Amino acid sequence: MSVKLKNISLVVMTAIFLCGFLLWSILKPTDAESVSERRPLAAFPAVSMESVLSGTFMTDFEKYTLDQFPLRDQFRTVKAVTACYILGQKDNNGIYVKDGFASKLEYPFNTDSIEYAASRFQFVYDRYMADKELKVYLSVIPDKNYFMAQKNGYPSMDYEKFVSDLREHTEFAEYIDITHLLELPDYYCTDTHWRQEKITDIAQHLAAGMGVSLSAEYNVNQVDTPFYGVYYGQSALPLAADNLYYLDNAVLKDCKVYDFETNAYIPVYDLEKINGNDSYEMFLSGSKSLLMIENPNATTDKELIIFRDSFGSSIAPLFAEGYEKIILVDIRYISPNMLDKFIEFTNQDVLFLYSTSVLNNSITIK
Amino acid sequence: MLFSSIPFLFYFIPCVVILYFAVPKCLKNSVLLLSSLFFYGWGEPRYLVFMLISITQGYIFGILIEKHCGKGRSKVFLTASVLLSLLLLGYCKYADFFIDNFNVLTGMSVPLLEIALPIGISFYTFQILSYTIDVYRGDVPAQKSYINLATYIAMFPQLIAGPIVRYSDIARQLENRTHSLSGAALGIRRFIVGLSKKVLIANILGEFVFAFKASDEKSVLYFWLYAVAYMLQIYFDFSGYSDMAIGLGHVFGFRFMENFNHPYISGSITEFWRRWHISLGSWFRDYLYIPLGGNQVSRPRWFLNIFVVWMATGFWHGAEWNFVLWGAMFAILLMIEKLWLLEWLKKLKVLNHIYVVLLVMISFVIFDAASVTEAFSYITAMFGGWNIPIVTFESVYYLRSYLIILVIAIIGATPLPKKLAAAAEKSKYISVAFHIAEPVVLMLLLTVCTAFLIDGSFNPFLYFRF
Repeated sequence: MSVKLKNISLVVMTAIFLCGFLLWSILKPTDAESVSERRPLAAFPAVSMESVLSGTFMTDFEKYTLDQFPLRDQFRTVKAVTACYILGQKDNNGIYVKDGFASKLEYPFNTDSIEYAASRFQFVYDRYMADKELKVYLSVIPDKNYFMAQKNGYPSMDYEKFVSDLREHTEFAEYIDITHLLELPDYYCTDTHWRQEKITDIAQHLAAGMGVSLSAEYNVNQVDTPFYGVYYGQSALPLAADNLYYLDNAVLKDCKVYDFETNAYIPVYDLEKINGNDSYEMFLSGSKSLLMIENPNATTDKELIIFRDSFGSSIAPLFAEGYEKIILVDIRYISPNMLDKFIEFTNQDVLFLYSTSVLNNSITIK
Repeated sequence: MLFSSIPFLFYFIPCVVILYFAVPKCLKNSVLLLSSLFFYGWGEPRYLVFMLISITQGYIFGILIEKHCGKGRSKVFLTASVLLSLLLLGYCKYADFFIDNFNVLTGMSVPLLEIALPIGISFYTFQILSYTIDVYRGDVPAQKSYINLATYIAMFPQLIAGPIVRYSDIARQLENRTHSLSGAALGIRRFIVGLSKKVLIANILGEFVFAFKASDEKSVLYFWLYAVAYMLQIYFDFSGYSDMAIGLGHVFGFRFMENFNHPYISGSITEFWRRWHISLGSWFRDYLYIPLGGNQVSRPRWFLNIFVVWMATGFWHGAEWNFVLWGAMFAILLMIEKLWLLEWLKKLKVLNHIYVVLLVMISFVIFDAASVTEAFSYITAMFGGWNIPIVTFESVYYLRSYLIILVIAIIGATPLPKKLAAAAEKSKYISVAFHIAEPVVLMLLLTVCTAFLIDGSFNPFLYFRF
């Protein structure tokens, strides 16, 4: 190839690349959201004299060009593969993959965050439980790093200290340890959460800790749609999809779930959510501030109140056979000050069930 | 607007290039000027006023200086122009520094002006200064066309981060330049290489530096890794930007001076400053050091000249005491080298390089610090102070995670890749393979850079604050 031909090739290829993507960007319809990243995408910003002079138009336009760039997901994968497999970076956007499991670096241990979470739990206890006959329990769900990080050379928190610090600040609650029952395959490969079909023993153990016996006999149902968890989109790495299963039995089939936000009943498993952005939301319809599972076939009048994060959505139905009512409270979405408007605290069992990920980033707790 | 951004690469530059080559020759400078003003106004619409004032005063005084050449008035006009330029720079960049220190010294509380620094003001101010001084000296004729002068000062490829282009270097090109396929290809090649240096090396090392600063578990190893990473980041960041500027210049028919020449292979600090930010070093040499008398004076005066130049160089980089300290450090090192060390260094084969790398590394720790206290704290930690551990799990993790990029950066900072390419060119078959592979590799690099820009939120540019 002559120098001239090389120069022509370079100039033409560059022109096609730049002008081609310019035209494609202009002609391409605007996407409202990114399915893989589970977030809305920036739209073309409104133009005004004020926004131009202040520079906000330019900033928003840059976000728009990044979000609406043609083949955005493919480019993100190119970046992730280059960073991890060519440049040898151990994580991409804080997410790493080992043995097919993706996890987000949860590091370092945030003492302030744990103290803040504990202070909010203490507030709930002092306000609603201290002078009542409620039995209060606490359990911590380790994130996947507990099983993956250190042995693969990734920095990780000191989980023992994490739990002991939390327990030190929540002496009102009896701690139930579940870490010895968990292992990495109990979690989804591409998602942060645990798999419902793998945690029946956890439910039994927690229930036993609260003095309730569960038979834990279920039918396992597989969802046809492949499940791409939150880390799939965030990492942009080529990961295999998970299979999603859910458990049911005669008790769960008759259970009703009341949603205090909408004053309506919703299903235990919302199968329509499977095709949404986050299939895990099929469990108790995802992010809900206040729910009540009613078991009409209960052989007891015991009630359970679970203060929980999203991990609670998949395990809560498994407690149904041991309780007449289970109230699920997510104080990330509802202020603890308002709880007495919906819940009468009398003699229920109370379980604070939180993952280390939320406890270590507890600013979202109200 | 950053060169390494989607709006620049996929909106601004294709439109400007198409427009530039579509218009007749007589309008090309107008297209460049308008696009440069748009480029500058994109990030800082309010500060276009400062730049236009600077250009206008430079234009008027340039003509007046030439008109009264050889007369006393010429000096008055030059002084007025220089003072106006420096006052504007001083107001925008240094006012709060002086007010703050005045408050500390007197215990008063004069309110700060809190002016956001107009991007590139240090660069375009120095270009205007070089223009008016060159006209005064009779080295170049005054530019009669406002558009041509404004194009020189505001030209977007070199506007915000240099190289500091001398008017005398491109005066002819402003009025009569040629465009060619080979020039465009050369420019594109240089631009993509610069973009890759910035996006694929500097930005990634910047993430490491960011992680280091956010860490609560620092170790001696971590401090050294930070120092190495920052030293490489600033080189690839700035030299990458200079490459992009020079490359864009080629596309538009301009030849800008080189700004870097593998500075980290230097055998002395004297040599380092002949290889690092060459356009700034030569500017201070020609417009400050030599007018002060250079080395053609008594030894005490010579050292005073060196000290003045390096304090000015440090202060040019930022209105903070750590930049002053940084400049003072180089002034002292250069004096020591000129006194006796340089002769010793020439005899050494390896130790001289270690000496340069170590001192430059420490200088950049000072450069990057938020304060002089932080700078000394970091340097103390590098040498085992503060009772921090030698190694932590976190520091080993980051070493493993960034090892390949560090190795690439270290090799890339030497002339080795260039030498290998030159050697390969000598072989007929390898040369053919190179010619075939080059456009493909460059397109791959452009694709990967685009991917990193789309997915990455970390895209600072270190020299913007100057």
